[in-house]
Formats: sequence, structure tokens, C-alpha cells
Amino acid sequence: MSIATELAPAPGRRVGLMQRVVNHRADYLYVLPALAVMMIVIAYPVYYTLELSLFKTPANLQMKDKVYVGLDNYVTILTSQSFRDVTVNTLIWTISSTLISFLLGLCAALALHREFAGRGVLRAVLLVPYVVSAVAASYVWKWLYHSDFGVIGALSVQFGFTDRPINFLDNLYTVLPSLIVVNIWREFSFAMIMLMAGLQTVPDQLLRAAQVDGANTWQRFWHVTFPHLKGVSMVTLLLLMVANFNSFIIPWVMTGGGPAGASDIWITQIYQLAFGRQRWGLASAYAVILFVVLMTLGYFYVKALTRGDEARA
Amino acid sequence: MTSTLADTSRSAARKPIDWWRWSGRVFLLFLLIFTVLPMAWMVLTSLKSQFAAMQYPPQWWPAEPTLENYRKLLDPSNSVGHEFLQYFWNSLYVSVATTILGVVVAVPAAYAFSRFRFPGRTFLFFAVLVRNMFPAVVFLMPLFLLMRRLGLVGTHTSLILTYLTFGLPLSIWLLKGFYDNIPIQLEQAARIDGATRFQAFYMIVLPLSSPGIIATSIFSFIGAWNEYVYAVTFLNNKDKLTLPVGIQRYFTEFATDWPGLMAATFLMSVPVVVLFLVLQKYFVRALTEGAVKS
Repeated sequence: MSIATELAPAPGRRVGLMQRVVNHRADYLYVLPALAVMMIVIAYPVYYTLELSLFKTPANLQMKDKVYVGLDNYVTILTSQSFRDVTVNTLIWTISSTLISFLLGLCAALALHREFAGRGVLRAVLLVPYVVSAVAASYVWKWLYHSDFGVIGALSVQFGFTDRPINFLDNLYTVLPSLIVVNIWREFSFAMIMLMAGLQTVPDQLLRAAQVDGANTWQRFWHVTFPHLKGVSMVTLLLLMVANFNSFIIPWVMTGGGPAGASDIWITQIYQLAFGRQRWGLASAYAVILFVVLMTLGYFYVKALTRGDEARA
Repeated sequence: MTSTLADTSRSAARKPIDWWRWSGRVFLLFLLIFTVLPMAWMVLTSLKSQFAAMQYPPQWWPAEPTLENYRKLLDPSNSVGHEFLQYFWNSLYVSVATTILGVVVAVPAAYAFSRFRFPGRTFLFFAVLVRNMFPAVVFLMPLFLLMRRLGLVGTHTSLILTYLTFGLPLSIWLLKGFYDNIPIQLEQAARIDGATRFQAFYMIVLPLSSPGIIATSIFSFIGAWNEYVYAVTFLNNKDKLTLPVGIQRYFTEFATDWPGLMAATFLMSVPVVVLFLVLQKYFVRALTEGAVKS
């Protein structure tokens, strides 16, 4: 079942919407429990966030005392210096995590495509960081980066890169790249798995035909394999981008956005505003801005999905 | 003369080195090291005493390996162990409840989305999308107020309810994919033989869709086990914490017991990694199906 056909109007005779709803009334019984829960926990919060973003909220969270302030919260956020700094961090974090994870995943998928002994085991081992909790990963890496006893610092001294251990997480310039490495460690195998699935859709005959025609390995990849991966690549890149844009645990657990906001991204900023400083109106406005950005990404996600369907059909 | 002949025939017989293949192998080796080293260091650290772990340069291999850290965590008479086992149990309870309830609600819904053509079916697609797109932090504020109004803040029920809801769209989506692949003729044959619609579903479709149910269950279990944002916000009572939150208690700014923390993260990872390794096939299928196929 493709999304394209699902979104298209049902074929056959045209019946009024009410009539169709009545005709299918028994069917709704199956989905009612699921729909009811989803409405409460998804639709209501979205509405409530929109509402709160227009109010100044009291610190004690007695929402009946909130004061309507119009778009003030938005103005406050968009004109602040910290918003600009945090946005730059968010862009660096999202774009570099996404691109590097995707490239590592793509190379891994290509290298793993050919059958060899131990391939299944290798794939499983590479996937383990993706399965393990991000909290566990954050603590392990925090220990690896430890300023005095961290193994990475000790190794870089051992190999002569530096003369004393670097304090990766307390340095304004190294903190964000250090966190990005952790993020990539966790998620490159997601891209790998998606692209391995995509590689299976590349017809063997085409590759062989290209080989007969004298195409070398690179040409076979670029002209045969890669065009077939376009749909999967788009979806993978967008999913990674959304996940990275939304990631919270790694920066929150490892640095809490510090030092001096050098690893603060939008999500940690929103959490800090809401649950650290109890400024829920501001935090909601921030969340709405995030909504808008994600909706834009979501639009492209749907487009990528449906275009893939048309190509397959 | 003869020697040149031998040379040419040998070089013709020798296959040219496939550089692409070799660079692929080297790359995989690099990725393997990148992936495994942090985990290996976690395990090695967990086998050291606190004194042995805090040395510079580090002991690459524990000089006196000890299981003391693990013994402490798993000993209920010890205060650390008592807490840890409590957190472990809390995590298990929340994850198992989420998984079971999720399957119970998702199975009929997925079946309906796959078989019936009622108005509003596309809603599911958008629910999956919303769930994939929006971060927990955005839902956190209104949900926190909602839970407070319902008097559920600090309870495991608040977490189960939240995980259930956020897992549902994806679970339904995955299961629907499996139901779409089960030919409807099987049910029709059962109906002709006199089975009711429910019997046909229960006796024919449900057993055939068990791989889908397993895949969905692993997904929701791992998701619930690893969840941090809601747990850290909703739970305020020390006894109720789940593992990802509870583990923070080993971490204080001045005296972090690193070997103890590493042992705890190791034990925390064991259930999901074992589950993943045993049921890998289903996990990978769910992962790709949830995002690629539609």
C-alpha cells in the first residue's frame, strides 16, 4: 500500500462523507481506542503549546494566573543574542551529525553488501550503539573524555598529538565536536541499515550489464547503484536530520549545554527555559518556532516518500 | 627467453588487486574499532577498583580485575544494590507493561487500517509523521500539566500512558505492513467454512502476523527501556526512578564512582542488547519497514 494511493480519493462511486462514515461505523470500533489515546496525548499538547506561547506564565505554574502578551514571547526570543548563538550551534550539530553519519553509513553499507564470512556478526556489532540507551552512551563517553583520567586524552598524549590531556568537554571549541562524535557513534549504523535495505533493490542484471559494457567500479556505483538509492537516501537523510534536530539526551547528560552555552542547542534551551527557569510561555514560543521548522522538513519528508512510490510504481 | 615467458604467464594468472574491496575492508575495520573501543573501555573500567581507574597514565588492562562493582550492584542487602535492583525492576515493569498494552491496542487498529476502507484512514499516516517529527520536549510541558491534573505525576502509570501513546502510531504502522502482506483470501476461505469475522482474525490472521507482533514488541520495549526525557521530568520519588534516570545518582560532581557507573551502564545495557541480538532479524525489518516502506 503506497502513500500516493492512500492519499488519492477512493475509486468507485462517489458517496457523501457522512454516508461513508455511517456505512463504516463498525470499522471505527477497531481503531477507536488507539485514536482516542492519540488525540489526547498528541493533538491536545500541540494546541496547548500554541496557546501558552501567547502568554506570560507564572513561575509556580498556576496556569489560571497567566497573562496574555500577544507575540511578545516570539519577539523576545527572535531578537535575543542567545537565540542566534544557539541556532548556530543547532545548525552545526544537526548538519555535521547528519552528513557524517550518512556518509559513514553509506560506505559501510557498500562494504557490507558483498557476502563474506562474519558479515552478519559485523552488522550486529555495528548496530549495538544504536540499540543501547543514549544515557548509557553519554556516561561511557563522558568517561572516555574525562579531563584527568580519560582514555582519549591519555592516548593522544601517548601518540604525541598533545603534551598533556585535553579537557574536551570544558573547552569552548572542542565541546561541540566532541559531542558530535558521540552522536555519530550512536547513529551511523541506522543509516547503514537503511542503505543496506536500499542496496537490495538495485538489480544485479544492470550492474552486470554495466560491467560488460566496461564500466569501472566507480562508474557502476555512480551511474547504476546511486540513482537507485536516491529515494532511500532522501528518507534516511531527513530522518537523521529530524532526529538530530530533536536530540536532547547526549548534550543534556554530557554537558547540560555548557560550558557557557557552547553546546546549547534548541532542545536543551527549551528544556532549560521550561524546567530550569519555569518560563513556560517563552519555552512554548520556542517550541512553536521549532514546530514550524520541523513542519517544513516534514513536507520534504512526505515528498521524498511519495516520490519514491511513484518511481517504484 | 624462458624466464620472460614464465614472468608474463605468472602476471597474467595473478589477479589484479581489487583496491575497492581492500579499502572497504580497511574501512570496516576502522568502523569496528570505533564502535567497539568505547564499549570495551566501559567493561574494562567496570572491572577495576576506584583507585585503579583513577590513574594517569591509565591502566590499559586492569592489574587486579575485580567483580566487586557488580557484586555491589546486585546485592540487595547493600544500599547501592538495593536501589539499583529497585530501578531495574521499575524499568522492567514500565517497559513490559508498555509493550503488552501497546500490542493489545495496536493489533486491532492495525488490522482495521489494513483491511477496512473508512474515511480518516490517512490520519494514521500523519500520526506516524507527527510522532517521528516532534521531540519529546515539545510535548513535555502540556503533558506534565495534564498528568498533574490527573494526579499521575510521580507514578509509573504516567510513563506507561505516555510511552504507549507515542509508540502507538509506529506500532500500528509496522503491524499494518504485515497485515497488508497476508492474503485476504485466507480469511475469506475461513469465513466460507463458517468462521465469524473474529474467529477468522483470531485463528488465521493473528498467528500469521506473529513476526510483526514480535518486531513491534521489541521496538516498543527498547524504546521504553531507554526513554529518559519523560522519566526524568515525571518521576520525583526516589523509589520510582527508572534506570536511565536512577543511574544519575552515581554521578555527582565531586566524587563520581566511575567503575561503579560503568558497571551500572553495562548491566543497564544487557537486556536490550540481548533482546536485539536474539531477535535481530525482526528488529532490522521493523527499522527499515517503519521508515522506507509505506
